Amino acid sequence: MINEETLTLYFYDELDAAERQRVEAVLNSDAKLAAAYAKLCRELEQWRDAETDRAPIHLIERWHDSIDQAARAETKAAARTQSSFHWFSFAWGAAITAVLVVGVGIGVYFSGNTSVISTTADPLYGIPVISQLTTPVSFTRGLQLHLQDSQSEIASLPTDASADRVLLLAQIIEQNRMFERAAKQNNSPGVARVLRAFEPILIRLASDEIAPKDAEALRAQLAFELSVVLTKLAQDTSDETHST
Amino acid sequence: MHFLPKLIFISLTVLFANNSIAQDSANDAEQLKIAALEALMSAPPDRALPLVAKVLASDNSDEIKLRALFVLSQIDLPEAQTILLETARNDGGELRLEAIRMIGISGDPTGTAGLADIYRSGDNDTKEAVLQAYLIADDTQSVYEIAANAASDEEFDEAVHILAVMGANDELRQLRDRPGSSESLIDAYAISGDVESLRDLAMDNSNPERQTQAIHGLGIVGGDEVNTTLVVIYRGTESPEVRDAALHGMMIADHDEGVLELFRSSQDAEEKTELLRMLVMMDSDAAMDAIEKALDGGT
Repeated sequence: MINEETLTLYFYDELDAAERQRVEAVLNSDAKLAAAYAKLCRELEQWRDAETDRAPIHLIERWHDSIDQAARAETKAAARTQSSFHWFSFAWGAAITAVLVVGVGIGVYFSGNTSVISTTADPLYGIPVISQLTTPVSFTRGLQLHLQDSQSEIASLPTDASADRVLLLAQIIEQNRMFERAAKQNNSPGVARVLRAFEPILIRLASDEIAPKDAEALRAQLAFELSVVLTKLAQDTSDETHST
Repeated sequence: MHFLPKLIFISLTVLFANNSIAQDSANDAEQLKIAALEALMSAPPDRALPLVAKVLASDNSDEIKLRALFVLSQIDLPEAQTILLETARNDGGELRLEAIRMIGISGDPTGTAGLADIYRSGDNDTKEAVLQAYLIADDTQSVYEIAANAASDEEFDEAVHILAVMGANDELRQLRDRPGSSESLIDAYAISGDVESLRDLAMDNSNPERQTQAIHGLGIVGGDEVNTTLVVIYRGTESPEVRDAALHGMMIADHDEGVLELFRSSQDAEEKTELLRMLVMMDSDAAMDAIEKALDGGT
């Protein structure tokens, strides 16, 4: 199954060689998918100029520094308090996100857009974000895809506290933060709040100190909350469709 | 929708069938209840709300009630806020903390306003949960109020950290005059990337400890503007501690060009040695040039 995300990554040449070959093969044999890809290319080309370029080296280095700084601050905060949750985990997550976001086509989920897109800078880490002014439908579609992907990725998380698990969770956090920002841009504060609420859970799941039982409980909680949000989104979309 | 009455009937049956489910299938029953709660999101809010309220009032497990609270946070009705606030005020343990989180998720002004009292009378876990709820709700003003009226340094520090993560530069600047609060504030300025505030503190030599900390903060933020400032501070101070802080700031900011510039312009052998060591520590390409010049006896 090749979804829109994969096609977008293919467009930006972000797939590995094997995956790229697979996509090419399917595109050659599936006329419907080829048509969808052609449409996607046109849409992505339309706003390629407006899209964020790869971050300059000095910014990447800044983000690395941000991670180091956040890690130091978290260690300091942990030493100061025995609190069950460290606020600097947010900064840690943000810093990891900032690094991972480099080079990723931020428009992955917004390719259906035909409105004016502008880029602004994240006030916290200078991360470029995309401002979507008039196309909540494409945003909702992308959000649903993201939540579904997150759901299946969380369900298949490695049970042991491995580097793979941390990396996977860092990627989910990265996507989550992109959508949180996009939700704010799309006048969807409710969605933005829910996505912000997911982040501490994801960060706790990424911790190598979490007990398997606690990790399982967090996974179950996330699975439920993701399902509820997806159901609500589907319901809202359905209501809008019926009212028009 | 034709399936709705059926769905609600099934939900009701499942949610309140405690006594009819055999003990050995209790776990399955829990899962069914959770699925029923999820399905309630398909129902109109005014029909879902009483069912969720019943779940919270019934003798269900904490897990079921926790899930019910999340469903409640997604119901845009004032009654939902009332139940969440009641749970946050009157329940204990995990349910109370989760209700607070849900108030943040729902973002309703009545709910978030109600959190202020809960914060004031709450224990440490409750205070932490309220701050997290404000973070989720993106309510910088309420966090600022907590920081401004903090009864202890710990409370102040926690609130300031949250403001930093929220990127609330204006609110953080308003807190600058609080006595004895410089350390956490400078950390916060560094996290939120507030160069202006950090530069003001880094150029102010009335408090050397605060000044050196602000210089380190500048190094963390980095960037061309900061690089220039760090070199200016290094050259402009008579204090060895401040100079050392500026040099370390350049190291953190990876400003090897600045260190090389200082190396070239220095006429002091001891200082040149220190700058050369710093260039080597920074693994700078410029270090080799400096080493070559030093070996040649040049400047």
